[in-house]
Amino acid sequence: MRSWFNGSIVAAALAAAAVSAVIAVSVTRATGQATRPARVAAGKPNFGGVWQALNEAHWDLQAHDARAGMVTQKGVYSYEYARVPAAPVLALGAAAGVPGSLGVVLGDGQIPYKPEAAAIKQQNSENWIDRDPELKCYLPGIPRAMYMPYPFSIVQGTDKIHMTYAFSNAARVIHLNKVEGPPDDTFMGHSVGRWEGDTLVVEVTNFNGKSWFDRAGNFHSDALRLVERYSAISPDAIRYEVTIEDPKVFARPWTIAMPLYRRLEPNATVLDYPCIEFAEEFMYGHLRKEQLVKRWEGETMIVDITRKIPPGDRLHEWYRR
Amino acid sequence: MRRRLLESLGVAVAMAALVTFLQLTAAGQAPAARGTAASAPAPKTTWGHPDLQGIWLDEFDTPLERGAKYANREFFSDEERAAQDDVRSGNVGRNLRAEVGSRQDVAGAYNAVFTSAKPAGRRTSLVVEPANGRIPALTPRVQEQNRLDREFRLALLQNTDTCKDKMTACNGWQYGPPSPRRAEVAPFYNTQRMNRHNGPEDQSLGDRCMLGATPDFNGFRRIVQGQDSIAIGVDTGQGQGYQRVVYLSGSHPPSSIRLRHGDSRGRFEGNTLVVDTTNFSPKFPFRGAAENLKLVERFTRVDANTMEYAATITDPTVWTAPWTVKQELTMQRDDQNRIYYEPRCHEGNYGLPALLIGARMDDKAFAEGRGADPASQDTASCLLNPDEPQ
Repeated sequence: MRSWFNGSIVAAALAAAAVSAVIAVSVTRATGQATRPARVAAGKPNFGGVWQALNEAHWDLQAHDARAGMVTQKGVYSYEYARVPAAPVLALGAAAGVPGSLGVVLGDGQIPYKPEAAAIKQQNSENWIDRDPELKCYLPGIPRAMYMPYPFSIVQGTDKIHMTYAFSNAARVIHLNKVEGPPDDTFMGHSVGRWEGDTLVVEVTNFNGKSWFDRAGNFHSDALRLVERYSAISPDAIRYEVTIEDPKVFARPWTIAMPLYRRLEPNATVLDYPCIEFAEEFMYGHLRKEQLVKRWEGETMIVDITRKIPPGDRLHEWYRR
Repeated sequence: MRRRLLESLGVAVAMAALVTFLQLTAAGQAPAARGTAASAPAPKTTWGHPDLQGIWLDEFDTPLERGAKYANREFFSDEERAAQDDVRSGNVGRNLRAEVGSRQDVAGAYNAVFTSAKPAGRRTSLVVEPANGRIPALTPRVQEQNRLDREFRLALLQNTDTCKDKMTACNGWQYGPPSPRRAEVAPFYNTQRMNRHNGPEDQSLGDRCMLGATPDFNGFRRIVQGQDSIAIGVDTGQGQGYQRVVYLSGSHPPSSIRLRHGDSRGRFEGNTLVVDTTNFSPKFPFRGAAENLKLVERFTRVDANTMEYAATITDPTVWTAPWTVKQELTMQRDDQNRIYYEPRCHEGNYGLPALLIGARMDDKAFAEGRGADPASQDTASCLLNPDEPQ
């Protein structure tokens, strides 16, 4: 992972050097019906379009092995690597697992939690279903919104850059001009940006501390401050780097980085993921007059799983004779 | 009179007005210099498109449909506007109370401080086409659908004092025993509050934090404009709002794709941004129009401070003719950033679970002989249809 990024830094630097000399004057690239210039009229890289991260950071920012289920339980062995899928996802078979990742945390790959915060992170991880705000369709916060497995759009205006995320129609505005801060803390932060050469640098503050970084329970407080750096690797890829500072939770600042990719489909668009209604059963199901989930103990959902064994394909039918 | 006022002023409407009022006040937008001092010409972006960027608001209170007495007149005289402002700034509605301690009293506890009005605009109605300023007649199919929908809602209400006392919310219906229809699924996908709370689907879209349909004529909106796409963030009040992205290329997705605010494709015709929107979702109707709605919006920046917005609404399955709304939007100060661009109603929605918990407690109390039959209690009509456009 580290070598990829070292390489990418060099590549980005080379690209940045080459960009002003070559790309600005000549290169336009046809995608579908539109011709998209590599730079906008103001001379800056063109970040306008539909983008998406293509990695596993939404599962866990840190390097991790693939595992058998989004939720697992102890199997026959007590080894961590021998856990088996747990009830909430058991019926989904191999579709319920979690892909492995080399991680996106730069340096030693560790997140420098203070000891008491590390304990909270561990508890978060063990109580993922109960605690992760994503499952309730809460606003994802920054940086999490940038690498969730959904596309988002960037509209690059003159003094503002607007991002609209498929997840819950969340959005943020990056202010490139003078602006007053928000009257209250926010989920998505208050973003103030500037250009440093061809790099867009955004400082994000005024968080309410209610968001997570990923599904592994990595979290922050309301003291979170981010510095994001967006630089063009090519017209279709952005190097996205975020330095994360939160003295209530972390012993020192730390940095994640990843490429964001342009969705090159001719008609790429951000289709809604309208999850507020998707989460209603999860959040309010126990309050129905006639419940869809049949077993509630107070506010605890007991999920019964019905699954045919064997699963009805010809090979299994033959073996079963 | 008292009852009628409470019923006509849905709380959501009152709250929206409050939010609008507070934002207006906070932004310190003096409604001056309007129409008198000539504004600077409309700017262009560095790439040559008309520049539509900024935070925009219709600063005037204009009825959607025109009053019959103004017939085919599109504009008020200055005297007529002044007279309306006089009435609105008077003591109307202030401190009117329902019976103290009643549900209606608590639910309607917004006095004139909360319902401050915007000044009267030039227009006699937002609707400019048809020329009489009225929305065209509904098709027979939709009229029938509305009748069936209303019958169902009234049936849920028929055992309550609202019907016993022949209040307006029960108009067209009669007091009677609890209706067996209380056990039925609503005849159409429900988006409004009803006098039953069996689950989230019995609540209004506003209760569920899914408020706001396209087009919207009331809220603040922020336009951020790029060379190939344009973002419109709409603040509908009540901590709710939504984002639209208008693509300046490409085509609408297949008709199987259904989006809450549709799929918007734009192009410039002279100085006007023309946006075609289709692929609307059946779950988020605009005054009854959804899957078959075709919306054409025209954004024209008239001068530095003013944008003309026109929306032509076509859905032959709902209305017998297309209709067009027009309004003038005024630019708000950019640096003050007085727009609520983080809709986060859902994150703090204690109201919905509290309402459902209350309903389950009522069920339990009734089953145990401790409380009234929920069918006999009106827990909706003082707030009936607060989310429907008035």
